[in-house]
Amino acid sequence: MEFSFLVNLSIRNLYRHSRRTLILLLAIVVAIAGVVIANALLRGMQDDIRRQVITNLNGHFKIHRSDYLANPSIKRGFVFSPDWVPYLGDANIDGWAARVRVPASIMSERETRGVELIGVNPSSERISFLSAVEFDGVFLADSRDRGVIIGRALARQLKTRVGKRLVLVSEGGDGLAREAGFRIVGIYDADSELNEKRFVFSGLETVQQFLGTAFITEISIKTFSQDLRNLKGTLSSYFSPLQILDWQELEPQTAAMVGYVDFGVLILFVIIMGALMFGLVNAFVTSVMERVREFGVLRALGMAGHIVVIQVILESMLITAVGLVFGVAGGWLIASWLSKGIDLSEWSEGVEVVGMSSVLYPNIIMEDIVLVIGLTLIFGLLSSAYPAWKAIQIKALDAIGR
Amino acid sequence: MSLNVRIAWRNLWRNRRRTWLTAGGISFAIFLVVSAMSLQLGQYDVMIENATSMMVGHIQLQDERYIEERHFEDTVPEASQLISILSREPKIASIAPRVELFALASVGERSFGVQVFGVDWEAERNTVSFLKFVKTGRIPVADHETIIGSTLARNLGVSIGDEIILLGAAKRAGVGAMAVTIVGLFETNFPEIDRNMVWVSLGGVREGFGLGDEFHSLIIRTFDVSNSLEVRNALEKKLASHDPRSNVVIRDWPEIMPEINQMIDIDRLSAEIMYLLLELIVVFSVINSFIIIVFERTKEFGMLIAIGMKPKDILWLVQWEAFFGWVIGMVVGVSLSWLLILWLTRTGIPLPSDLQELAAQMFMPSRIYPAFSTEAIFTAPLILLVGTQFAAFISSIRILYMRPIEVLRGK
Repeated sequence: MEFSFLVNLSIRNLYRHSRRTLILLLAIVVAIAGVVIANALLRGMQDDIRRQVITNLNGHFKIHRSDYLANPSIKRGFVFSPDWVPYLGDANIDGWAARVRVPASIMSERETRGVELIGVNPSSERISFLSAVEFDGVFLADSRDRGVIIGRALARQLKTRVGKRLVLVSEGGDGLAREAGFRIVGIYDADSELNEKRFVFSGLETVQQFLGTAFITEISIKTFSQDLRNLKGTLSSYFSPLQILDWQELEPQTAAMVGYVDFGVLILFVIIMGALMFGLVNAFVTSVMERVREFGVLRALGMAGHIVVIQVILESMLITAVGLVFGVAGGWLIASWLSKGIDLSEWSEGVEVVGMSSVLYPNIIMEDIVLVIGLTLIFGLLSSAYPAWKAIQIKALDAIGR
Repeated sequence: MSLNVRIAWRNLWRNRRRTWLTAGGISFAIFLVVSAMSLQLGQYDVMIENATSMMVGHIQLQDERYIEERHFEDTVPEASQLISILSREPKIASIAPRVELFALASVGERSFGVQVFGVDWEAERNTVSFLKFVKTGRIPVADHETIIGSTLARNLGVSIGDEIILLGAAKRAGVGAMAVTIVGLFETNFPEIDRNMVWVSLGGVREGFGLGDEFHSLIIRTFDVSNSLEVRNALEKKLASHDPRSNVVIRDWPEIMPEINQMIDIDRLSAEIMYLLLELIVVFSVINSFIIIVFERTKEFGMLIAIGMKPKDILWLVQWEAFFGWVIGMVVGVSLSWLLILWLTRTGIPLPSDLQELAAQMFMPSRIYPAFSTEAIFTAPLILLVGTQFAAFISSIRILYMRPIEVLRGK
C-alpha cells in the first residue's frame, strides 16, 4: 500500500473531528511553546550567571602563582613585562588583562573600610565589568594614572566624592606596611553593590610603585573558544609553573548551578510532556475505538495488521508534528519578542544574591529546540503505542458483527 | 442524593478507560504541583529562619542616620534603659546590643581593613546562630578576647593565641585602639565574612573606642519569626511613648534583607507559571474528553430532551460527571503526593554536594524537607476543579441548542 495514500487517509481522519483535533493541537502547541519559552528563560539565566562570573575580573581563565589564592599577598606575585603579548598559537583570545590585586584598607577623613586594591591597565579591562559601568568623573587614562576609581556604594560609606583624596594602606613588596594618598578620579556604578564596596582601582604601574614591587598577581584571559579544556592545556604549558584555573574552578559553586540548568531543562520537558500524554493517549485511543467497525472492514478487505498500526501511528505523529511546528514557532516568536529583556529590577537585591543582573535576556539555543523536537516525537510515538495495540487486536468478524 | 447525581456517577463508568485517562491527567498534575509546592514552601521557611538567625535577627533597632551610611558616631544612647523597656514586650525572646565599626586589624607590619562587631556573647548566643560557625578554638569570655574569620587569620598570618591590634576612629575624634587575643576562628559559607570580620566584646570596644552606654544596633529575636511585623509595631508604639522625639528606627527582617523576600517572590512566580502551564494542558485534555463525551452521546441527549428533560438539566448532568472525574483525580493525586511528602518528611532530599555551599549562601539547607501547608494542598486541586467544570461547560454548551428531532434522525 502506498505511503502517500496512508498519509492522505490520516489527514482525512483528523479532519473528521476538526474540533477535537483542534483542541488536541492547541494542547500540544501550548505545551511546546511553554517549554520553548521556559527553556529560553532558563538559558538566559544560565548565560547571565556565567557572564557575571567571567566579567567579574575572572575571565575564562586566570593565572596566579599557585600559592596566591591561599594568601593573597603581593609577595606571591610574579614578574610580567607590560609590553608582553602572549603568543598562544591559533587560540581564540578575546582579550587579556594583567593586574595587581592586594587586600588594602581605604580611609577617607572619617571612615575606614577594607577593600581590594586592584592595579589595572585600563585599555585591557574591556574584558571585565569595568567596560560596561557608568562613571561619575572619568575612568583611568592608562596604567600610570595616579587616580583611583571607587564604587558608588563605597563612596557613600566613605562620605566622599570625585576630586577628594583617600588614603590607602597595604602591605608592600618588602612586607612592610605602606600608606599613600590618592585622588578619586571616578566613581563607578556597577550591577553588583558587593563589587562597588569591594573593588578599588588604580593604574597598574601606580599600584606597583606604591607597593614597591615589579610583580603582578594575576592575568585574566577571555576567549571566544568553546573548547576551554584544550585551550587550558595550551595555556598551562605556556605559563608553567604558574597556576591556571578556568572559571569553573574559580567559582565551582556557580559553575555547578549553571550545570544543573541543563538538567532542569530536561525535567521541565518531561513533566510537561507527561501531562500532555494523558490527553494524547485519550484522544488517540478514542479515535481507534470509534472506528472499530471501520478497522474491521479494512481488515476484512485485506489490510495487513502492520498497516493498521502504521495508520494509527501516522495519525498521531501527524498531529504531533503539526503541533510541534506551531508550538516551536509560537514559542520562538514569544521568546524573541521578550529578547529586548525582562526587567527584574523590582527584585534587584534578590537576583544579585543568585548572581544575575537585573535584566533577563531569553536565549534560544538550537540544541534545546532539537531536543524538544526529538523528545516530542518520541512522546508522540509512545502515546500511540497503546491505541495502535488496541487497533491491531480488532478482529474483522467481531468488529463487523457488532 | 438526587437522581441526576447518581446517573452522573454511573455514566462515569460507561467508559472506564476514558474516565481513568481523564482523571489520570488531573491526578498527575495535582500530584506534581502539590508535591512541588510543599517542597518549595518548606524551603522558604527554612530560608527565612537561616537568613535571620545567622547574624541579622528578626528585628533591628538603629539610629535613623546609621542605617544607610554606617557612620560610627551615629549611636543610640541610654542603651541599658532602652533594652530594659523593650524587653518587657512578651513576644521577644532575646535582645543583643552591638557596636559596629570598621578598623585596621594589624599584626606586625601586616594590616587589613576589617569590620568589627562588639557584642555581648551571652546575648548573641540567645539571639543568633553565628557563634556556631566558630570551628576552631572557643567562644571568648574575657573583654580582651576575640574571634576572627578564618580567611582573615590566614591573610594576617595569625592563629589562636596570637594578639592583634584594632585601630580606628574613635567617637569623639582621635584614634581608638584595642589589643585582643584570638581564641577562636569562624568559618561561614560567606567568603566576605570570613575575610573581613572580627567579633570582640562589647565592653572592650566601648572602652577602646570611647563609647559609653550606647550601641549601633539592637538585634532582636522574637519567639516566632512570622510575628516580626507585629512585634516591630508593638515596639515602635512602646518607643514612641517613651521618647516621642527619638531618631531610632525599628525594622523587621523583610526591611533589613529585602533580597530574601525577593528571592522567594521570583521563585514563587516562576514556579507558578510552570504550574499554570501544567494545569492548562490538563484542562485542554479534559475539554477534549468532554467534546468526545458530548459527541458520542448526542443521540442519548436528544432522546432525553425528547422525553421531556430540560437541556439545562443535561448540562448539570455533565457538570456532575466532570465533578466526579475531578474527585477521582484529586483523591488519587492528593493521596500520592501525601505519601511522597510523608516519606520525604522523614528522609528529605539531599542537595547535590557541589551545590550545598552555594545553597548555604542563599540561606538554603543542604537537605530539603517538604512542609504540609494548606496552600500547597488546596491550590492545585481548586484550580483544576474550576478548570474541569469550565472545560465540561464549554464542551457541552451545544446541548442547549440541540433539536431533539434532528438529533434523533441522526442529522
